[in-house]
Amino acid sequence: MDDRSFVAAQDFLLSAKTYWSTTMYRTLRDKSAAANKDVVDEQVETVASIAQCIEDAPLYQFYAWLERHLQRMKYAGRYGLVPYHHERRDDLLSALNQAFDAEKILDIDTSLALPAYYTGVDIHQHPGGVWSDAIAGMVYERGARTTTPLTGAAEKDVHERFTDLVLGECSPTTVLDMGCGFGKSTQPFVRRLPDSSIDAVDLSAPCLRLAADTALQSQAGNVRFRQMNACDTDFDADSFDLVTSTMVLHELPPKTIEELLDEAFRVLSPGGRMVHLDFYCVPDAFRRFVHYGHARRNNEPYMQPLAELDLSVLVESKGFVDVEITPFQESDRVDLNADDAWRFPWTVISATKPEGAAS
Amino acid sequence: MTQESKSPRAEQQFFDDPAIDRIMGAFMALATEHYVLLDRVRAMERELVSVGTLDRGALAREPSESERAETAIDRTAFVEALMRPLLGEQDAAGATGKFSLK
Ligand SMILES: C[S@@+](CC[C@H](N)C(=O)[O-])C[C@H]1O[C@@H](n2cnc3c(N)ncnc32)[C@H](O)[C@@H]1O
Repeated sequence: MDDRSFVAAQDFLLSAKTYWSTTMYRTLRDKSAAANKDVVDEQVETVASIAQCIEDAPLYQFYAWLERHLQRMKYAGRYGLVPYHHERRDDLLSALNQAFDAEKILDIDTSLALPAYYTGVDIHQHPGGVWSDAIAGMVYERGARTTTPLTGAAEKDVHERFTDLVLGECSPTTVLDMGCGFGKSTQPFVRRLPDSSIDAVDLSAPCLRLAADTALQSQAGNVRFRQMNACDTDFDADSFDLVTSTMVLHELPPKTIEELLDEAFRVLSPGGRMVHLDFYCVPDAFRRFVHYGHARRNNEPYMQPLAELDLSVLVESKGFVDVEITPFQESDRVDLNADDAWRFPWTVISATKPEGAAS
Repeated sequence: MTQESKSPRAEQQFFDDPAIDRIMGAFMALATEHYVLLDRVRAMERELVSVGTLDRGALAREPSESERAETAIDRTAFVEALMRPLLGEQDAAGATGKFSLK
């Protein structure tokens, strides 16, 4: 397929997704509200009562079908990200910078065992996951350009906004980005903290290669990418002022979230701050219904368990203090109080390792 | 990709009749092809206009009666091919109706 056909098809799918996330979402929300009024008092609306009212409606069935299949077509259709990159495999791989070793910017651990929760599901319908194919990082990078389709190109994206928020509250000299992917969440810290030392870890070698390549191209000398399990890293205890993650917690089973919190606690210096950005505070039953449905349809089996966890209790039980859990506005255009378009329930979860705490 | 993927797994079902799930897949694939084609035709027009081979006005003008008459036969055949299956009639004589070997 040529580049024009690929872009035309992807643009078409994105337009369809935009219609889905605005007009179709609003129509579904109104229909659900009307149907629920007939059945139950709004006070007692639950995911199950909404499901009861709306799951048999053709509108919901089309809504659900489109959510799953627009994503399938985006990745695996004839003009999907996977076949497009597959056709260009050799060029893409040879264009990746080969000077990693000399720069000490990338450390791949070929003996690292990948956890079963990770290899068992093709997360967000990326065939083969973000880890199994050498070009998976590039496929994921291209796909992630439209994760928040309603954010305009001229606006600050979600990672920039999150970094603004974090660095507004602390000035770390050592940072760990857990589950950095292809480095999109790491880059703003690398750019804004030129004198700090930044480490980033992920399970996916193809993603880390792309992250290191991007960092080398921007001549960043303050970052290292390493293939490690964020729940079990090689870093010394008490070695970071800031431990962060973006869109990682919802990919982990609850037990693994606990392990990640334990590891964050261990590697943080006393007084250091942990800040995660993820999908957690769901404001009402309708959005919960939609969120759980999204999880199922998009191959995200741990999204619902995360949304049902009592995170504040869990984080405190690990020894952290000053736990804060706040909804996050991912784009200038979003009004957190409005419900006029589909969106992820972006939430910032932060906590401090107390001074004098033993790791 | 699909060819290399592991053992086949049944796709999720959203409609009461799973046939609708599948036909929606074919329908959206066609809609995508249609858009890709439209985009290609427009790009071609732009190219041809820019080198002076094509007069966009001439292309966009309402077709003359004679041109419409010329294309009418083809249009009728197109519509027939599209809509004849809705009649549920055989093209080649044989057994009719739904059958079961239960
Ligand atoms: C949705 S991506 C987010 C990537 C990046 N933080 C960003 O915001 O673009 C989730 C990432 O978490 C990684 N991941 C999942 N489990 C992990 C673990 N136990 N340790 C390290 N990384 C993990 C995945 O490989 C994937 O790259």
